[in-house]
Amino acid sequence: MELGTFIQSLLNGLSIGSVYAIFALGYTLIFSILGIINFAHGAVFTLGAYFTYFLIGGVNNGTGVLTNLGLPFGLPFVLATLLGSLLAGGVGVILDRMAFRPLRARGADPLLALVLSLGLALLLVNLAQYLIGAEILSFPSNVYGDWLPPAINFGSTENPIPVRGVQIIIFTVSMFVVVILTLLINRTKIGKALRAVAENATTANLLGISTERFILFTFFLSGFLGGLAGTLVATSFSISGPYFGVTYGLKGLAVIVLGGLGDIPGAVVGGLVIGLAEAFVPGDFSAYKEAVAFALLFVILLVRPQGLLGRKVIQKV
Amino acid sequence: MDTFFSTYGFLMVQMMLQALLGLSLYFPMMAGQLSLASPGFYALGGYIAAVISTKVVVTQGMYPFHLLLLEILLGAMASGVLALLVGIPALRLKGIYLALATIAFVEILRVVSLNLDITGGAVGIFGIPQPFANPLSYALLVLPLLILVAWFAARLERSRVGRAFTAIREDELAADAMGINPTYYKVLAFVIGAMVAGGIGAISAHFLNTWNARQGTFDAAINVLAYVLIGGSRTFWGAIVGGFALTALPEILRPLGDLRLIVNGLLLVIGAIYLPQGLIRPAWLAALGKRKVALVQPKGEL
Amino acid sequence: MTTVLEVQNFTRRFGGLIAVNEVSFAVQSNEIFGLIGPNGAGKTTTFNMMSGLTPPSSGTLLYQGKNITNLKPFQIAALGMARTFQNIRLFGNLTALENVKIGQHIHSSSGVLNGVFGIGKARAEEKQILEKANELLELVGLADRASVEARNFSYGDQRRLEVARALALQPKVLLLDEPAAGMNPNEKAALSDFIRSVRERFQLTVVLIEHHVPLVMGLCDRIAVLNFGQRIALGTPAEVANDPAVIEAYLGGDD
Repeated sequence: MELGTFIQSLLNGLSIGSVYAIFALGYTLIFSILGIINFAHGAVFTLGAYFTYFLIGGVNNGTGVLTNLGLPFGLPFVLATLLGSLLAGGVGVILDRMAFRPLRARGADPLLALVLSLGLALLLVNLAQYLIGAEILSFPSNVYGDWLPPAINFGSTENPIPVRGVQIIIFTVSMFVVVILTLLINRTKIGKALRAVAENATTANLLGISTERFILFTFFLSGFLGGLAGTLVATSFSISGPYFGVTYGLKGLAVIVLGGLGDIPGAVVGGLVIGLAEAFVPGDFSAYKEAVAFALLFVILLVRPQGLLGRKVIQKV
Repeated sequence: MDTFFSTYGFLMVQMMLQALLGLSLYFPMMAGQLSLASPGFYALGGYIAAVISTKVVVTQGMYPFHLLLLEILLGAMASGVLALLVGIPALRLKGIYLALATIAFVEILRVVSLNLDITGGAVGIFGIPQPFANPLSYALLVLPLLILVAWFAARLERSRVGRAFTAIREDELAADAMGINPTYYKVLAFVIGAMVAGGIGAISAHFLNTWNARQGTFDAAINVLAYVLIGGSRTFWGAIVGGFALTALPEILRPLGDLRLIVNGLLLVIGAIYLPQGLIRPAWLAALGKRKVALVQPKGEL
Repeated sequence: MTTVLEVQNFTRRFGGLIAVNEVSFAVQSNEIFGLIGPNGAGKTTTFNMMSGLTPPSSGTLLYQGKNITNLKPFQIAALGMARTFQNIRLFGNLTALENVKIGQHIHSSSGVLNGVFGIGKARAEEKQILEKANELLELVGLADRASVEARNFSYGDQRRLEVARALALQPKVLLLDEPAAGMNPNEKAALSDFIRSVRERFQLTVVLIEHHVPLVMGLCDRIAVLNFGQRIALGTPAEVANDPAVIEAYLGGDD
């Protein structure tokens, strides 16, 4: 492989991988606290992108019930992204309050929570389809501002190796979020409490940590990260319709398993590994790119179910 | 009546086929294994039938019934073998990990089928010949098959192998200590389910006339899982009732138009929260059968 | 008397913790062998290693002279060693009858097709399984409640059902993990007689873990005492009761 192509694949891989990472962090946070996989996370990803799209003043050109409608105002993109992600976090909170908590209160089987989350995903996706429609919504190409060049050339003039400016922004923003989140979890009181709850909810309760409050916070944080990832991906491609997040939802599973379910640094590593693995699929096999994440998921489950970074868990009889 | 059957013939057969798919997922669940692999085997069986009937054997007019039976057999056998290969390593995984591995399995098969020539790539295979004169006539094959598989499940539950399945579902470690080889029986349950799904796929390919990668997707897996969980996962009746109800539901909700898909999701949510044991519970069946009140009321857990 | 079971230098580490340290003892056929010791002495871990649930970090397990250290639980069960669990692991949603039927798994062999179609040996086998199950439920006094789900039994009855399920394996060695736990004094008294009668009737070797010292002293032929993962004494009840190390373990550093 030529150095130029290598750099191109590397940057593309890191860019998409970093989005996988922040998306998967949302998954893994909930898993670490509740031991459940929230399949509605992919739908929240989609909703986050929709929220931002409408907040910047985008008009619905879909054929749903709300066709041709838009907000009467448009916010600056950065503000809209922040607000859109906060709203996605709010969706997470609502999902917990209205669905997961009643189930938890009964001490139901975690597999039932999985089914519940699938139902929620179906509900949200179809609600979006009903309201907005199945059409593609695109962000303006200069959404990050005119200062950002569409592509940056990493090669020479004769032999150009373009990497899209958006990709570089996405990578920078995602890595920034990862750093902030790491600080939040490792350095703050709330982060320490969160880890205590993840370690053992009952003990945490005994120590006076209100588990329910942290679960709610986790759902908020998870929704926020999912929504932000959705917006970032949508600015790079577009919102391909209500099913936009489904593929990411499934690939996110591969990411968190690769990193070890519930393992926070693992989710970042897993995201980058899968992003890079996809980017480095040789051209001849590019049709199989979509299967890379799942093949990795399958293999890692069989070989190292505790994930790349995880420790082996001793089963107690 | 004639118009009823010609209008709803397709739906009725579809309900039976989906109930059978529900049963295919119920078998591993009997042994406590949440597998979402059914659509993968269903897709495989369908491709086998589609390839044989459009590329290997070229027939004029009505497709010979014996060839259809052969395809069903081949679909089931191929799925069984694949299930054995996938199951032996995968069934070491428990709970959510197994579910994830089977999701990955279905997705890998889907991407592969999208890219092979023999499966017709993204377009798939169409113009699959018809062994029956009209959709409803498929019931002549599918209904007896449904009864057969249901009977098989009912008998299995009361046999030595079925007891081993239930023991593993209840407490794998205790079953192990009672001399039951968990891996063997989990793989067995997985293979039985795969064979059912593969056979049904072969019929469905003809029934739907066309076959493509959309038949074996994550969404399909969720639908089938919903049949079993909404219907009730502790008796084979659950898979049948769930398959019937959830396949008919979009038709029943047709007046709602686009809202019906939302209602579908809502039902799954409500079902998970308020009907954790599903519609059909063994205790109720027992009470019905014996015409006396069940000795114990099921408590709140799953 | 012949040695039926021999534990040689069993050691089990969990991370940095040594739960069982170089423990050895031999169980003679047809005896009732007690394994006692304070909480956390490593009794249940030893049991789990003996039944294959926890692989030992090092050490050897011989059954009738054959090395079975690395066998899986179901293989060990099939050789003739059945067990109960300290925290009772019945199949809670299944009836008492089904629990005992499942216990007979290794003594039947019909597969999927035989079972489903009721052909071959399956029919005769089912009849035999049912008879045997009823017989065992009769033995433990639960025959009248055969169709009640296991989880609805009282604690004491669940313990008895678990013994019936273990006996259904027709074992040569019966491992009982704290059989008297949760029983009232009357039930405890009856338990000794019951264990003795079972031994006579089925020509069994019994190994049991027990907290309740008077029960063990009256019931067991020989006793091994564990403390902090090590075997500190081995002998008849009288020998063990007078052993200074045992007295120290039970009275001295008692928690």
